[in-house]
Amino acid sequence: MSDCMTLRTYVIARILLTIPMIFILLTSVFLVMRVLPGDPVQMHFEKMASPAVINQMRIQLGLDKPLYAQYFDYIVGLFRGDLGKSMQDYSSVGQQIFSAFPATLELAICSMLIAVLIGVFLGVEASKSYNRPKDHIIRIFGIVTYAIPVFFLGMILQMVFGVWLHWLPTGGRIAPGMAPTGLSLGGIHFSTGLYTVDSLLQGNLTEFGLSLKYLLLPSLTLGLVLCGIFIRLTRTNMFETMRLDFVTAAKARGLKDSTVTYRYILRNAFLPVLTMTGLQFALLLGGAVLTETTFSWPGLGRYLVDRINFRDYTAIQGAVVVFGIFVSIVSLIVDLLYAYLDPRIRL
Amino acid sequence: MKDRIFAKSSLPPISPKHCQEPLQNTEFFHKNNVSFSFSAKSYMRIELNHSATVKKLNINDVKAVSKMLAVGILIVIIAISAIGAGYYYMISRPTTSPSPTPEVTPTPATSATPLASLTPAPSSKVKDTLIIGTTDSVETCLDPANAYDFFGWEIIQSLGDSLVDYNPGSDQIVPALAASWTVSSDNLVWTFNLRQGVHFDNGSEFTANAVKYSFDRNIQINDPDGPYVGIGYGDIIKSVTVVSPYVVQFTLNYPFAAFLSLMACQASDIVDPAHAPMSNITWSINDVVQYHAGDPRASNPMGLGPYTLQNWIRTAGKDSELDLKANPNYWNASGGYPKTQNIIIKMFADQSSLALAIQSGDVDIAFRQLSSTDITSMQNKPNLKVWTGTGAFIQYLCFQEKYAPFNDSVARQAVASAINRTALVQTVFQGQAQELYCMIPIGMAGHTDSFKTWGAPDYTLTKQLLATLGYNENHKFTFDLWYESSGHYPSSAQQALVLKDSLEASGVISVNLQSLDWAGYKNARSSETMQAYIMGWYPDYIDADDYIYPFVSSSGDSWLHINYASATMDALVQNARGNTTQSVRNDLYSQINDLIAADCPIIPLYQSSAYAVTNPNVQGVYLDVTQQWRNWLVYENTG
Repeated sequence: MSDCMTLRTYVIARILLTIPMIFILLTSVFLVMRVLPGDPVQMHFEKMASPAVINQMRIQLGLDKPLYAQYFDYIVGLFRGDLGKSMQDYSSVGQQIFSAFPATLELAICSMLIAVLIGVFLGVEASKSYNRPKDHIIRIFGIVTYAIPVFFLGMILQMVFGVWLHWLPTGGRIAPGMAPTGLSLGGIHFSTGLYTVDSLLQGNLTEFGLSLKYLLLPSLTLGLVLCGIFIRLTRTNMFETMRLDFVTAAKARGLKDSTVTYRYILRNAFLPVLTMTGLQFALLLGGAVLTETTFSWPGLGRYLVDRINFRDYTAIQGAVVVFGIFVSIVSLIVDLLYAYLDPRIRL
Repeated sequence: MKDRIFAKSSLPPISPKHCQEPLQNTEFFHKNNVSFSFSAKSYMRIELNHSATVKKLNINDVKAVSKMLAVGILIVIIAISAIGAGYYYMISRPTTSPSPTPEVTPTPATSATPLASLTPAPSSKVKDTLIIGTTDSVETCLDPANAYDFFGWEIIQSLGDSLVDYNPGSDQIVPALAASWTVSSDNLVWTFNLRQGVHFDNGSEFTANAVKYSFDRNIQINDPDGPYVGIGYGDIIKSVTVVSPYVVQFTLNYPFAAFLSLMACQASDIVDPAHAPMSNITWSINDVVQYHAGDPRASNPMGLGPYTLQNWIRTAGKDSELDLKANPNYWNASGGYPKTQNIIIKMFADQSSLALAIQSGDVDIAFRQLSSTDITSMQNKPNLKVWTGTGAFIQYLCFQEKYAPFNDSVARQAVASAINRTALVQTVFQGQAQELYCMIPIGMAGHTDSFKTWGAPDYTLTKQLLATLGYNENHKFTFDLWYESSGHYPSSAQQALVLKDSLEASGVISVNLQSLDWAGYKNARSSETMQAYIMGWYPDYIDADDYIYPFVSSSGDSWLHINYASATMDALVQNARGNTTQSVRNDLYSQINDLIAADCPIIPLYQSSAYAVTNPNVQGVYLDVTQQWRNWLVYENTG
């Protein structure tokens, strides 16, 4: 009973702590962007603009107000759920971010799946063959994939599978004209924005297959780069756990090697891997800009970089707020999972 | 802390009689809880043995580790070499046959009637859908009142039409929605006789009212972001009058020689009043037709062009796909246009992605932007065709003349004499650009190679000029050269490096390279803190005026912040602007070019060429000085 109350208190405290964290983040970004050289007003004028026109644009973008007024206007808007209007094209920042988010989420989920599956499997195999050839080869593989620049690996895969073999497309999220629209039932339209899910909701297996085809190369690229972390982490933790007495006890009791490895050792060694998974997933939700650029994947990473280049203050602030919330949610979920898996962890 | 959860399982208990050895290692015992005490004794013995075994093994394994590591590294090196060799042999190895020359766009015979000289495709079958890949994106919207970007204009051109147009392959003005026109003797009143029987895509008839509506609307909206402010439509056009249902008259504030070129640019395209309504009693910026997700018709105020907009997918402010479908009401449909019924435009994040897409066949055409190296490598590929034509994009070097050292024209002339344009074009662009010795591009009326007077380069002249200012090999003329570093212009860093090399090769100049991203660069330009900086220019309309007025006239060049002013230049520019006799204009621009070369407020560097890469069966690509991409002319034979 007392453990449940502690956990509940912990969750509430974490949620409440997210609010000041977001504000600190937002304030820092607000100030940093305005200190950086570059003016979003100037960005609107490629060529000629008179001072009167520039001033008109400044008023239009709300940049004529004092800094504190701009800040408080933005905070008030946030409380109303309004992330503001882009200074580049005047459209809703919230709509822009959430139009890019499904693409980022889809890529993040698939990449993490590949990274964890490959990384954990190879890490386990390496730990079982500690200091033997298999271990060294797997370690080298992990180092190489982690060290290789993601855009380079992406381009290699595009060349091999796209240009030479013509097996997979080289970029984009779906074939032209084939974007799934989701489920329409009785006038109600439901769409997640995740092409794999939407195509299944529509019952269109062709589109499902296509969405997987387009998703494969970017998630494989990102997954291979990230799996290096999981290989090393799993291997190290597996090896440390293997040396403990309860493992020896389990082996001494005649349990099968696979049972000892996966049910006893891996389960205990998995907790740090889980933490890393959560952290990496949270980072990926902010957008993997290099992968998105290499594969022309319309995600949040490219969006944020474009907006930083334009000095689109509103869009940058909005993206940072949303990203901060994502990270908080994911780290809270990871902590809760930690507490669930490890009864010793009580808060 | 190495505490671990003891795995819960139904393990058989160990009889205490097996726990024979007393616990020796107190520290070890304290690391475990009491419930493990019996087990700990026997396990401790095993643990110690295991540690001893492990210790023994480690010594022997050191050599094995090194050997395995070396083997592993060797495997990786072999793998990378194999990939690299495979790439070289399969992709980029030059063939023994002579390199095919890039396809030169054919110049059709000129004619008073648009497209009459462009013979329709032969009776063989034409592909129904073409996919075009590009790295561009519509910056804001497709409303001529606001759209002021290259790609936005390209799409507007496919969806709408203007009173006049350029003959593909040249800068000759030909009729479009206007069948003919006249100009008054004082060059102030232009009267256009409209083509009759033309309809918008919704079936409503195109009349002079639509022309007046479009221009009145766009001028009154007065979007500070848009071309009507940027180009100065409101300053040029005094009024638009409907003379009769098919006759419209423009009265200008002053004679403007480039007026027809202005009418041919996409900002002058006619909107459909039904899809560009007024929301209040007067026009305002809120009336600009913006992008509406999922509703392409509401996102597009055009309706007279060869295509209609079927789909426009934009994610996070960047386009990912545009689908165009042939407009059955297009006034020139009887001429067989558009040649291809459906055009899908697919966006790519960068040049490399686009290059890979055209090579893999994911797209049929790749246009803007491809890197020089990719274009060079694709010229040798039998499954690709490279098209080239004259470009209109130029880059130039600006000087801040507000303060030293470039407030002195001799310093600017010295720099002009030390620039090696050949090195720039060959090294950075691999010959895919043209050396430019005049602000007016090659191929445009008014072009003269005035900057050749400074050599290409002439270091003796450089030394002489700088000697008059007290500089020599021991006391070099030093200045900061700025370039933008975020990819806004092509290969900016490489250009700056080549320029630095060529200037320092004179022996009397020392250059410090500085860079900023585009936003910071524009800020620095406005703050006038850069001594010398590289800029670029895409034309608004195809006329020498658009390459002169914004740069060297005191009323037009304030945006450049070079602080150059010359009464003589202003007078020449105004004369050239207002004189509609081409021979007189040519003479005036010749004088202007000579004066620019003498004063060196800016130095032209190079003029881009336009490139497109297609699969071998694509036809109808016209790349010319107008920089227009005409979707309605391209097609692919399948038969």
